[in-house]
Amino acid sequence: MSQNKLYVPQGYSGASHWRDARIFHRALDMARTRLLIVCCSFILAFFIIAGRLVDVSLLRGSGEANLAHSHSLQARHFRADIVDRNGELLATSLKTSSLYANARVVLDTKEAALKLTQVLPELNYNDTLHRLQSGKGFVWIARHLTPQKQAEIIRLGLPGIYFQQDERRVYPHGELFAHVLGYTNIDNQGLGGVERKFNELLLSQETPLKLSLDIRVQHVLRDELLAGIEKYSAQGGAGMIMDVRTGEIIAMISLPDFDPNQVGKMGLHKEALFNRITLGAYEMGSSFKIFNTALYIENEISSLTTKYDVSAPLRVGRFRIKDFHPAHYPLTVAEIFTESSNIGAAKMALQMGSSLQKPFFEKLGFFQPSSLEIPEIGSPLYPKQWSEPTLITASYGYGIAITPLHLVTAIGGIVNNGIMQSPTLLKVDPHKEKKGKRVVSEKTSEMMRKLLYMIVAQGRGKKARVCGYEVGGKTGTANTLNGKAYKEGSNLTSFTGAFPMSRPQYIVLIMLDRPQAIKETYGFNAAGWNSAPVAGKVIERIAPLLQVVPINEEKIVSEGNPMLIHVSAPQKGAH
Amino acid sequence: MTSDILRSLFQKFARLNWGIIFLILLISAIGWGLLISAAGGDMQPWAFKQIMRFSVGVFIMLTLACTDLRWWFHFSYIFYGISLLLLFGVEFLGSIGGWGAQRWIDLYIIQLQPSELMKIALVMALARYFHNQSLPLQFSKLFFPLLLIFLPTILVLRQPDLGTAMIFLLMGGMLFFAAGVSLWLFAAGLIGTAASLPLLWNFLHEYQQDRILTFFGSTQDTLGAGYHITQSKIALGSGGFWGKGFMQGTQASLNFLPAKQTDFIFTLLCEEWGFMGGAFLISLYVLLIIMCFRIVLTTQNTFGRFVAMGMTVTFFLYVFINIAMVMGLLPVVGVPLPLVSYGGTAMLTLLMGFGFLLNVSLHRTLKIPRLSIGMF
Repeated sequence: MSQNKLYVPQGYSGASHWRDARIFHRALDMARTRLLIVCCSFILAFFIIAGRLVDVSLLRGSGEANLAHSHSLQARHFRADIVDRNGELLATSLKTSSLYANARVVLDTKEAALKLTQVLPELNYNDTLHRLQSGKGFVWIARHLTPQKQAEIIRLGLPGIYFQQDERRVYPHGELFAHVLGYTNIDNQGLGGVERKFNELLLSQETPLKLSLDIRVQHVLRDELLAGIEKYSAQGGAGMIMDVRTGEIIAMISLPDFDPNQVGKMGLHKEALFNRITLGAYEMGSSFKIFNTALYIENEISSLTTKYDVSAPLRVGRFRIKDFHPAHYPLTVAEIFTESSNIGAAKMALQMGSSLQKPFFEKLGFFQPSSLEIPEIGSPLYPKQWSEPTLITASYGYGIAITPLHLVTAIGGIVNNGIMQSPTLLKVDPHKEKKGKRVVSEKTSEMMRKLLYMIVAQGRGKKARVCGYEVGGKTGTANTLNGKAYKEGSNLTSFTGAFPMSRPQYIVLIMLDRPQAIKETYGFNAAGWNSAPVAGKVIERIAPLLQVVPINEEKIVSEGNPMLIHVSAPQKGAH
Repeated sequence: MTSDILRSLFQKFARLNWGIIFLILLISAIGWGLLISAAGGDMQPWAFKQIMRFSVGVFIMLTLACTDLRWWFHFSYIFYGISLLLLFGVEFLGSIGGWGAQRWIDLYIIQLQPSELMKIALVMALARYFHNQSLPLQFSKLFFPLLLIFLPTILVLRQPDLGTAMIFLLMGGMLFFAAGVSLWLFAAGLIGTAASLPLLWNFLHEYQQDRILTFFGSTQDTLGAGYHITQSKIALGSGGFWGKGFMQGTQASLNFLPAKQTDFIFTLLCEEWGFMGGAFLISLYVLLIIMCFRIVLTTQNTFGRFVAMGMTVTFFLYVFINIAMVMGLLPVVGVPLPLVSYGGTAMLTLLMGFGFLLNVSLHRTLKIPRLSIGMF
């Protein structure tokens, strides 16, 4: 009972004198009143705190929208990987942090912008300030920061500045697959190449996308092309390797290239984005003699030993058709092909006529854009009216421009027993028969293979020879257009080769843009002197990788080699 | 003989105000949860140490609760004197002795901070002085208690510890008020303080001036001195009604919030548990303070009353200043949230204070005679 008795001043109960009692009574009153006031002030203080808590946490609630935003991004899985035919990683996604601001919360925008630009020098002060002053609840400041930069920004202690987990596309091999894979923008959307073509697929599926490419072959191709460009001081180059039986592209390079990891930092070198293989349409020059000759054989116009007089330049309208290496004696059809005579090819074409040539070109797909799975596909350029000059010039590769991809696809069809496969960047199931398109007969194909083999074994493509492998191919040297006139000495050289020639599987294209004549090439800059040796080096390195069985070298030079045909024997001595 | 002591000790234990002890434990447990969350779900580096300190503190609290109140009455001035000497020690000798800007004496488990010790010693000294005076207090009797307050206040202001100085002054003022000092004198005191503000201003360090300017200039400099409070408000706001959930606080876990485990732990609570979490903790504090006030109101001896009053006021001031500061109602002064914030010294002071409160509660009916030796 006494435990809970309210305070009574000591001596109060014992006060006998009335004056003492009054003093005690006053003291008691005072003490109780004062305590009551203290109590009340405490209660008031807690009411203030509680009110403020309601104000701050309920009435001014902020940042929830931003949080929801970042949660929705976190829930999504990453953009799928891209791998080569052997499962090697070509493109992947990494988790990164991006910086955003709630411009309504940032209060001293100038100082915030200044501090941010100090840590992130790539930011523009005025631009950053503008964003921070936008008054928006969500503005990006910087994307894909390294953990170090993130730590530095956290250390700045800026209010209203937040981070969001997101992903960044990474290409571990840098430039190696630049044009094939393409690249993504900062929001992870594919902007070029496979990344763009398969954008939806990559965003939705989780399993990696398997391409037909082989990283080893791609590397060799780029390596040799770079070496070739440097050796011959070329402006650029391109290369492609295709499996003619399936249409799978094993390697594809266009130089100059770029680093898809840093497309935004390319600056003025945007031309490096141009894919010469698929987007560039070129007059292919002498390579077209393959089609001219194939058509000739296919339609059995005459035998391979039929001779044409090529000693005098051919006049077509205002043009004079000349040969690089004029022969002063009649050449057989086979020799016209192996010696690459423009006059001879033109005469053969004139004999066949455009009624044969035009449908054949159409069949080879020269009038249609390629169906390859990247968006950078160029349309061929060809005259609407197939006049006589067109017929003549087209026979040796002028007056019609196709992409190198078209060229490889068509030659692939010629050497693959006449079955042309449409090119693809996706790996083809080896157990599934892929139906191609017949462009020439098996017999024509066999003859063309022998002719192509001879060019490398004995003709202009000699520098593409590879010890132990049956390589066949055709050089092509085209004068590049400078304005409206063809420029002498400014060439686009190419070599299209296939191996092994007895039963071709792979076709290799090497192109060099304006290679220069060097001492080693004795002042020549035609394809046989630059593109052909590059192709030879490429084949030498990739054939073992692609498990092509080498053959006995003696067999190649022996008389019993079924690949060698003797079509030029009578003229050899005369020359 | 020994059994008698044990029995009396047991009786004292049984009569302890267990309600207060339970509330202290509950509030502290909330603090441990928050410290675990602040460390990203780990007992290290804060929660484990805090629990160890709490255990030591509770032991000291219970020990103090069972001592004889009269003993403390007799030694209160000596206690005050020792505390003042220690305060001098860290202030003057500390800087000479190479302690740098340390405000504490390291006792390994608990760092003893003379200014914290002084919070208790000041209450005791004032309580003893008021006990010996007839209340309401006369004007002429004010100078000695004012000296008792101002000496340590000036010392801690020089450290500089604005928060502690504020607690000394406000707690002293509260006790003066309870002792019946004329309201006119309070008015005069306020005017005097206002007049001497420009002088006091120069005593303050630049950062303290900044903080006060920031407070009155609202949030002009949100990146510099106003940073704490802006981030704190953002965090408080982001919690909403139910909060983001345990360990989900982005402001705190992303280290946007400085001192999230110490002075600004209330923000962490509000971010993770929302308005309800904050309101719950405040309710616990209110309940605890009401129980303390019950002791104040029912204690019969003046010394005990003022000791209980002083401890309650100190506790209230901690709670109020901290929460008001976190919510931007007061300038940022370094005052922890009692029992919840990480740190040993403030907790030890508070638990010692509660120890004396429990002690007073045990000795509510005790008669302590006035001593009339000299001026005391």
